[in-house]
Amino acid sequence: MLDINNLKVTFDTRMGEVNVLNQVSLKIAPGERVGIIGESGSGKTTLALSIMGLVQGQVQGSIKYRGEELLDKREEDWEKIRSKKISMVFQNTGEMLNPVYTLLDQVMEPYLKVNPGKKKEAFNRASNLLKKVGLREDHFYAYPFTLSGGEVQRGLIAMALINDPELLILDEPTSALDALTRAELIRLLDEIAQNKTILVISHDLSTVIKLTRRTAVLYAGSIMETGPTESLLREPKHPYSRALVRAYPTRTTVKDLQGIRGEFPSLVEPPSGCPFHPRCTQALEKCSQEKPCLVEAEEGALACHRGGIITLLRGENLVRRFPRQGKEGKEIYFNAVDGAGVTLKEGEILALVGESGSGKTTLAHILAGINQPTEGKVYFQDREIYSLKGREKKDLRRRLQILFQNPQEAVSHRMMVHDLVEEPLEIQGIGDKETRVQGVKEALGLVGLPGDSFFLHKYPHELSGGELQRVTIARALVMKPKVLIADEPSASLDASVQAKMLKLLMHLQNEQGFALFLITHDLALAGKVGDRVAVMFLGKIVEEGPTSEVFRFPLHPYTELLLDMAPSLEREVPSLRRTVKLKEEEGKGCPYYAHCPYSTELCSREEPPLKEKGFQRVACHRAAALEKKNNNNSYYKEIKKVL
Amino acid sequence: MHINYWTELKRNKFGRIGLIMVSILVLVALAAPFLAPHNPWVYQGQPLTPPSEEYILGLNDIGQDILSELIYGTRTTLLVGVSVAVFSTLISLALALAAALGGRIVDRIILRLIDIMLILPVFLIAILVAIYFKPGVVTIIIMLTLLLWPPGARILRAQTLSLKERQHLTAASSFGAGKGYIVYRHLIPDLYPLLTVNLIQMVRRTVFMEAGLAFLGIFDPTQKSWGLMIHYASEFIFTGAWKWWLLPPGLLISYTIIGFALIGYALESSLDPRLRRNIHYVGH
Repeated sequence: MLDINNLKVTFDTRMGEVNVLNQVSLKIAPGERVGIIGESGSGKTTLALSIMGLVQGQVQGSIKYRGEELLDKREEDWEKIRSKKISMVFQNTGEMLNPVYTLLDQVMEPYLKVNPGKKKEAFNRASNLLKKVGLREDHFYAYPFTLSGGEVQRGLIAMALINDPELLILDEPTSALDALTRAELIRLLDEIAQNKTILVISHDLSTVIKLTRRTAVLYAGSIMETGPTESLLREPKHPYSRALVRAYPTRTTVKDLQGIRGEFPSLVEPPSGCPFHPRCTQALEKCSQEKPCLVEAEEGALACHRGGIITLLRGENLVRRFPRQGKEGKEIYFNAVDGAGVTLKEGEILALVGESGSGKTTLAHILAGINQPTEGKVYFQDREIYSLKGREKKDLRRRLQILFQNPQEAVSHRMMVHDLVEEPLEIQGIGDKETRVQGVKEALGLVGLPGDSFFLHKYPHELSGGELQRVTIARALVMKPKVLIADEPSASLDASVQAKMLKLLMHLQNEQGFALFLITHDLALAGKVGDRVAVMFLGKIVEEGPTSEVFRFPLHPYTELLLDMAPSLEREVPSLRRTVKLKEEEGKGCPYYAHCPYSTELCSREEPPLKEKGFQRVACHRAAALEKKNNNNSYYKEIKKVL
Repeated sequence: MHINYWTELKRNKFGRIGLIMVSILVLVALAAPFLAPHNPWVYQGQPLTPPSEEYILGLNDIGQDILSELIYGTRTTLLVGVSVAVFSTLISLALALAAALGGRIVDRIILRLIDIMLILPVFLIAILVAIYFKPGVVTIIIMLTLLLWPPGARILRAQTLSLKERQHLTAASSFGAGKGYIVYRHLIPDLYPLLTVNLIQMVRRTVFMEAGLAFLGIFDPTQKSWGLMIHYASEFIFTGAWKWWLLPPGLLISYTIIGFALIGYALESSLDPRLRRNIHYVGH
C-alpha cells in the first residue's frame, strides 16, 4: 500500500546541512499496523510529515502510495490525498487546534473542504465521530483551550477520521497523557484500527506494542531493525533496540533502569559508518567506516555489521565431576555441575541464582576458563577456550575476567594497591611503566577510588571490605574486558555497601559496555540487576528467561519457591514448603522431584529437558500446570480488566 | 596478614637478645684482623703458656695465641653456617616447588628421596665422606649442604601445596600468568616467612655439625675452627690448660647456637598465629 524507498530528507540550517532521514525504506501492506520507535530526534516525525507531503526540507528517494509516486505530486493533488487517503493525528502540543473556533467546527472543516456545502452531513458525521471517540455533547461547542489534553487528543483523532482515510498516521498519540486516559485512548485507537492501515509513531513502547504488529526502529535517520513488534520488544536483535527497551520502564520491570551510554549524535556532523557505533558495545573498526545495509533476517530486517547482538560466551552441556570419599574409603564421584548450559550475549547482564551447593561457583570458574569441565565445551565468540594455546589464550585472558567471591583471598596481601591493579597489565605486557600507572589510576577512578600516592601504597589489610572489593573490580577492569564474571560480589557486604557496589557494577557495565555474568543466591537482587535470570538447581539450569517474565510467571516450582523466599519486610515467618519424597529409582527422573509439590508419576521416571516456553526456557514436566496457576492469579486478572 | 619481620623481631624480648648476640658475632668476624692481638698462625712462644697480660688466654700446644684463634674461628663458623644454610635452603625450595607443582610422579619421587635422606645417619656419612675427601672449608660446605636439605624441603613442600590453592594465584593465572610468573611473584613471596625460619634453623644446625666434625678431627687443620680447637685441647684435658683452651671455644659454640635459636624462636612465634599473643599490624 505504502512503499517508501531510499527516502532522504535534509534541511539547510545556518549550522550546515542537517541529514534528518537517511535511506529509509519501509513497506506497509493494506490493513497492516506498523510502529516506528526511536529516541526523540531520530527523525520519526519527519518521516510522517514526508508521507503527508508536509516536510519543508529537500526530499529525495521515493514514496509510492498504491503505485503512485507521492513526491511528484503538486499541492493541488495533495489536498485530496491528505484528507481522503492518508490522514494524520498530530502530536498534541496544545497548539494544534485554533483557539477561536469550537471543537465541532474544526472537526467538520476537513469534510467541508472535500465536500463543499454539505454542512448538514458534516455536522452529523462530526458529532457521531466525537461521540465515538468518547466526548460528551457539551464538549462539542467548547473552545479548545477549555478542554483537557486527553479531550483535545480525542478531538484530533475524530478530525483525522472524518474523511474516512485508508491510512492513518498517529504521531505520539498517547505521550504526555496520564496512564488511565492513555489506556482508554489505546483501546479506542485499537478499535478504530480494526479496518484501517495505521502507522504509529511513538517513543512510548507500551502504546506501540498494543497497537501494532510490526515495528521499525529508527535511529539518527536510519532504520536499524524491523520485525514483529512483540518479539522485537521482548528479544531485540539490534544493540540499539535493546538499549531502547532497557531504558523503558513498565509495570513488570524489576531491573533498575539503565540509560543508553553516550550522547545522541549530532545530525550536522553525523558519525561515519553506522550511526550507532560510538554508543555501541560491540562496534568493530568496520562499523566506523562503512554503513551497514538493512538486511532481511528471519522475521524482519536488521542493519548491523555484526548480525545483531552477538553471543560472547556459551557453555554447552557442562559437567564437572569431583571425587568424594564414600563409604569404607571407596572413592565416589559427584557432579557439581551436571549438564548446565549458559549463553551470555554482548552487553547484557545475566544473573545466575541458586542455593548454596547448586554449583554456581564451579560453573563460574568453568566459564572463566580456570576450571576445566569434565564434559562439555565453553565457547568465547565461537572459539573453544580450553583448547586455545599461547598468544590466543593470553588474548582470551584479557577479554574474560572473573571477580572472586572473597576479595580478601583474591589478592596477595604482600602487594600494594598499585601492584595489585597493575598486575594484569604487567602479565599481559601492556604498555610501559608510565602508561601502566596511568591505566591503574584510570581503573581506580572508574570504581570511585582515589589514585593518589597515599592510596596506591596501601596494603590490602588497610582497606575496608568495600574498598578492597572495588580494588578487585578495578583490577578486573584495567584490561577493559568484554566479559566480567562476578561470583557473589556483594555476599560479604552489608546492604548499603552492597547497594553501592551493585549500582557501581551496573553503571560500569553500561558505560564500559561489557557483558556481566552475576552470580548470587539472592533472587531479589538478581531481579534488580539482571536483564535475564537463570535458575540453577543441583548443577542444572532449571529455568531461564527475561527477568520480568521469570518474576511474573515463574514456570519452575523451584523458581517459585525462591521467589516466595526472597527477602521481604513482612513479619510472617516463612513456611518453607519443601517436601521430601523418595524416588523409586535413585538417579532417574527430575532432580527436583524430591521437593516438588506438583510432581506426578512421570517426574519420577523421566528427566525433563530444558524446553522453550514463550520467552522463557524451563526444565519441568509440569510447567503448563504452573502457568495455568499463574494465569488464575487474581491480582493479574484485575490488572487485565483495567487494560 | 602482612607481617614485618623486623618489627616483630625487635618487639620480641628473645628476638632482641638473639639479634644482639648474633650481631656481636658478625662484627667480630668482620673485624678479626683488627681485634686479634696476634697472628694466630704464627708461633708466639713457649707452648701451653698459661694466660698472661700479653696472651690473655695463653698459648696452645704449638705456641699459637688462643684468643686470636678464637677470633678468627668466628669467621669460619659463620662462613660455613651461613653458606650451608643458604645453599641447602635453595635446594629445599627448588625441590619443594618441583614436588608441589610438577605433578604426581615428580612429587612421589622427591618425597621418597626425602624419606631416604632423612633415615640416613647424617653424622656417620659426613665422617666417611670427609675422611675420603680430606675436607677443606669448601668441601665441608658442599657436603653439609647436600646432607642437610631434606627437612626444609619437606616443610616447604607441604606449605607450597596449601599456598598454591590460594585464590590470588588463580586470579593471576586468570590474567594469563604462566607458572614461572606465579612462582616468582606469588609463591616464593608467600613462602618468605617459612624460608626465613628455615634459614635461621639451618645456621644453628650447621654450626653444631661443623663443630662436631672438627672435634672429630675432620677439618682442614690449617683452618682456625672452634671445633678443631676443642679437638686439640681435648688431648690436654689432664693438664690445667683446658680452663683457657677447651672451655672458651665450647662456650662460644653454645653462645652462637643460642643466639640463632633465640632469633628462630622469636620468628616462629610471630609467624605462627597460635604462638602470637597480640597481633600487631603494620600501619595501623
